[in-house]
Amino acid sequence: MTEDDKDKAQRRMAVDASKSTRRPDDEIVEPTAQPDASMSPALQAHIGRQVRAVFDSVAQEPVPEHLLRLLKDLDDSGES
Amino acid sequence: MPETVSPGLKDELVAQIGNLRAFAVSLCGDRERADDLVQETLYKAWNNLGSFQEGTNLKAWLFTILRNTYFSERRKKKREVEDVDGAYAAKLSSSPEQHGHMDMRDFQEALSELPDDQREALVLVGAAGFSYEEAAEISDCAVGTIKSRVNRARRRIAERLNLDEGEDSPADLVGAATAAASRGA
Repeated sequence: MTEDDKDKAQRRMAVDASKSTRRPDDEIVEPTAQPDASMSPALQAHIGRQVRAVFDSVAQEPVPEHLLRLLKDLDDSGES
Repeated sequence: MPETVSPGLKDELVAQIGNLRAFAVSLCGDRERADDLVQETLYKAWNNLGSFQEGTNLKAWLFTILRNTYFSERRKKKREVEDVDGAYAAKLSSSPEQHGHMDMRDFQEALSELPDDQREALVLVGAAGFSYEEAAEISDCAVGTIKSRVNRARRRIAERLNLDEGEDSPADLVGAATAAASRGA
């Protein structure tokens, strides 16, 4: 990314930041939303990895016994 | 109640419990409540397996059930509890299970401060591995809405963590991302 591109990206970001001070209205669909042009792919990838790390820290925990038992109980009650 | 549940389908259910727990925590920010949500989701899923077409996306189906369960409960609760978002942030940041690197904790805090819909979109697409189309179906909104929520979520996090500062050269970011990946992220 050239300095010029970076500048442009930052200006765009500044505009977006000012917009987001009022609560964004999500019912308005933005059909032009793309893989975000105002953010570098490296930064997007960095954020993506962090979100995954947070998610996986829970997803990869051992499943609590009571949840497994629930399915077993449901299974058993179906057979009787 | 289903007459018979094929062992394969049951195994698939079990295999999704971890993902469901992670999604539930990201929605409500409370681990105990998250497990209650997962329990209810499994119960409902089991009793409605007849309406699930085997071979279609079980994961998306389960996520949809969990999400609907969460929001219908929250609508009821919102009348009782005012500051749901505040409670969320407080609980997440003090959760003792969430250890690890400082930058991960910072990130987690930034994530918890996002508006609910943006956090949900970012988690579905960025972490749970859904396509924009699948996420839109789970969240019951348009694909464009999901895309813009994800973009806004990323921008907010970047602002919050000062990731958009000029000093952060793209090379540094790639380095940080690579380091995170090699740590097993």
